[in-house]
Amino acid sequence: MSLITCESVGKSYGSKRALNNVSFTIEAGAPIALVGPNGAGKTTLFSLLCGYISPTDGQVKIFGERPNSTALLGQIAALPQDARLDPNLTVLAQLVLFAQLQGFNNKQAKAESLRVLALVGLADVAAQKPLSLSHGMSKRVSIAQALIGQPKLVLLDEPTAGLDPANAKAIRELVTAQSVHTTFVISSHNLDELEKLCDKVLYLDQGELNQSVSIKDAQADDYLTVSMHDCDNEQFNSLINALPEVLSVKNSQHNEFVIQYTKHAGYQFELKLFELFATHQWQYHTLQRGRTLEDKLFS
Amino acid sequence: MDTVKPISSLGATLLVAKFELKKILFNTRGLIALAAFALVWFLILWYPVKQASIYLFSPDFKQFLAALFGESSVSELFSWPVAEMAIVWIAALYLFPLFSISVSADQFASDRARGTFRFLTLRASRDTLFFGRFVGYMLIQAILLLFTLGATLILVAFRDASLLLPAISSSLFIFINIMIVLLPFTATMAILSLYANSAMRATIYAVLLWAGFSIVSAILNYYLPGLDSVMQWVLPGAQLSMMINTSGLGSLAFAPIPLIQAAVLLLVGRTYMARIAL
Repeated sequence: MSLITCESVGKSYGSKRALNNVSFTIEAGAPIALVGPNGAGKTTLFSLLCGYISPTDGQVKIFGERPNSTALLGQIAALPQDARLDPNLTVLAQLVLFAQLQGFNNKQAKAESLRVLALVGLADVAAQKPLSLSHGMSKRVSIAQALIGQPKLVLLDEPTAGLDPANAKAIRELVTAQSVHTTFVISSHNLDELEKLCDKVLYLDQGELNQSVSIKDAQADDYLTVSMHDCDNEQFNSLINALPEVLSVKNSQHNEFVIQYTKHAGYQFELKLFELFATHQWQYHTLQRGRTLEDKLFS
Repeated sequence: MDTVKPISSLGATLLVAKFELKKILFNTRGLIALAAFALVWFLILWYPVKQASIYLFSPDFKQFLAALFGESSVSELFSWPVAEMAIVWIAALYLFPLFSISVSADQFASDRARGTFRFLTLRASRDTLFFGRFVGYMLIQAILLLFTLGATLILVAFRDASLLLPAISSSLFIFINIMIVLLPFTATMAILSLYANSAMRATIYAVLLWAGFSIVSAILNYYLPGLDSVMQWVLPGAQLSMMINTSGLGSLAFAPIPLIQAAVLLLVGRTYMARIAL
């Protein structure tokens, strides 16, 4: 049974159409990314999946059940956008309630709450009230609550927005570690981050599912993305284009080139590139197999 | 994780209710509301209730009340075996619904505005949250009523210990009747606090509802006198003025009105909760 199935899902707010005819299927496994510009309908889609709102048309199924079905309680968790914990109660008191509602007894609930807080490095704030936490800490607490009871599906809306780089990295590592038993759907504007975490990417634009791409698809082998420190762009283009395996070279952004080539066994082409760099004393910054997610989505 | 069993709907409802109770009783905002409640009742108990035994049974006061409300309107008041309980009955009949409007105005409003429900609805059904909160707020009011009646019983015991037994019997009837009276008030506030985005706004909506309904009812009474007799049973509290002149089991004769109102309001509230965007 598919994890998530959306069939011709649409959502209107009055005369505004937030989502239009969105259909996709997601299987359990590696994290899935949901990307798109502001106002593309990402949060609306998340809210539909969580059952916070109902679709105007079409239907959403999670594990074959409609969102809000009692069969899904405790199976799905989410980091909703702009949702805050009760400022009058301690973090622990609220997480214990969440755990108890998921079936933990009082003692287990406390232990589970402390476990998930430790996962996000915040076990020491358990006795504090949410208002005493910084924005980043509140977000990490919200991520912690989503991990209570190891749910099968976790939806994270902008999980690292507003986090410092060290904590953002810690959250990415946490998602990777938890992906063994949980499927994550992550909405973010940080494409580099999604590239590190996810394989499948759903791209929403103006309420429509524009494309669905796989980061590690077979086509990845036909491309190399090279980021250079300093080089003559025109010379680089012409010299690379002159190599017999090269089909095309595109200067995707400043000092970054996407090379499409005919792949042979081994690393002959890569070795040729390094020889060329050495001859012209060009310093490269990164060499990546395949295209960046940004290039895939926006080229 | 293997030892975790899914919680039953009833278990989850009681858990939510218990949590609400804890939330009110152990946080600053709740304690301020309770302090205000205790102060009002201290004044009521200390002055009218403590003095009740003296003036309620004095012929002059009887004459005064009969002249004011009419002999038949307050006759039952003098039949209460313990005078203090008669005063507490009247005070509770009017003050508890008012307090109910204020105390239960935040059943859902803040949590909905803040998005806290989004954490809860993935773990408890909307029905569980709706009825759990409702039960929680009824429990809070039950505790307050028990404290009020307990304090009255202490006053009675100090005056005349032999009156304690009939006073306890009266307290029991007051408790049951007031709790039934409070059901539709709390259910109305559940709906209004689902609609409003703050407790303050829910209270304003409540004032508008009761005041507005009274005005509409008066207008209807002018043009369609027959309809008014039906309309007066629609709004919670319509029966209160008639309940003053009842005591003991007699007061329970009015119970079907708030019970039916509460059932209808809870059904409406449950349906609203099921459809609302969180």
